Amino acid sequence: MEQSEVLERVVKILTPWAKNEEALAKVGMETSILDDLKVNSARLVDVIIAFEDDFDIEIADEDVDSVNSVGDAVNLILAKL
Amino acid sequence: MTLAAPLWVPLAAGCLRLVGGYSVRNLGRARAEFDGIWRETDDPLMLCGNHLTLIDSFLIMWVLRSPWRLLTDPKSFAWNTPERTNFARSPLYSALTYFAKCIPITRGGRREDTGLVLDRVVHLLERGELALLFPEGGRSRSGRVDPAAAAWGVGRVIGALPNCRVLCIFLRGDAQQSWGRFPARGDTLTVEMSCIEPKSDYRGARRSRDLARQVTAQLAKMEEEYFDGRQ
Repeated sequence: MEQSEVLERVVKILTPWAKNEEALAKVGMETSILDDLKVNSARLVDVIIAFEDDFDIEIADEDVDSVNSVGDAVNLILAKL
Repeated sequence: MTLAAPLWVPLAAGCLRLVGGYSVRNLGRARAEFDGIWRETDDPLMLCGNHLTLIDSFLIMWVLRSPWRLLTDPKSFAWNTPERTNFARSPLYSALTYFAKCIPITRGGRREDTGLVLDRVVHLLERGELALLFPEGGRSRSGRVDPAAAAWGVGRVIGALPNCRVLCIFLRGDAQQSWGRFPARGDTLTVEMSCIEPKSDYRGARRSRDLARQVTAQLAKMEEEYFDGRQ
């Protein structure tokens, strides 16, 4: 799967949780999930589980520690596929 | 516990009683119940409470232990993880948390930092220390426990510790309408406790969320019973 396709699906998954629509409109690999998109940190686990379901992968708790930006999420998913 | 504990623990308890004017129903029963659970086994024990005011950590420790017991059994004074921006806002909060057993956490901070804090909590529980976490991740804005608002970190700690017991503590003042900084002055608090051992067949992040939700579900059940009892 191409990085661009994973990015597109990741952004689609993040959309319902993102409170900053302006940041969402110009989202990129460097965009911070919590700081820029304003996703509630307590809900990050729901996002991660949505990644698991959408991409049919399993993400360990420790893996979540490395996910700060959209690019981190994309790279983690690519590594799991 | 710090060397300053003999000074501030009785002072804090005195402030809650005399300045806040707070009282607790069945305080003796609650302390005896906690003492039994604390001494029952060597398995890790984590405290999880509903969260409505900024001083819930202090209130919970005051309810569970007399100042004398906290000083003579310092392991039973729980570590807690206050939100860094809350206590850094004023010198008073900074001083209070500095002298207490606190591991500050930044809500929404870098995930590596959050992971390190959770690892420290796991390490402390493994060593037989007590830790207090609020499974909703912050004060409940609705004033009620939201079972779906389970912070994944609590589940991650439980999942890392085989046989981890969770003492769910429901605490609420009669005059408490919603969330806030402090309970109403002179309020009478009700405390209920329930010890559970969350288990899950899931794996990864889903397992942590499932474990955390078992805790918030138990707290929500206790809250429902509390309101049923008041009708």
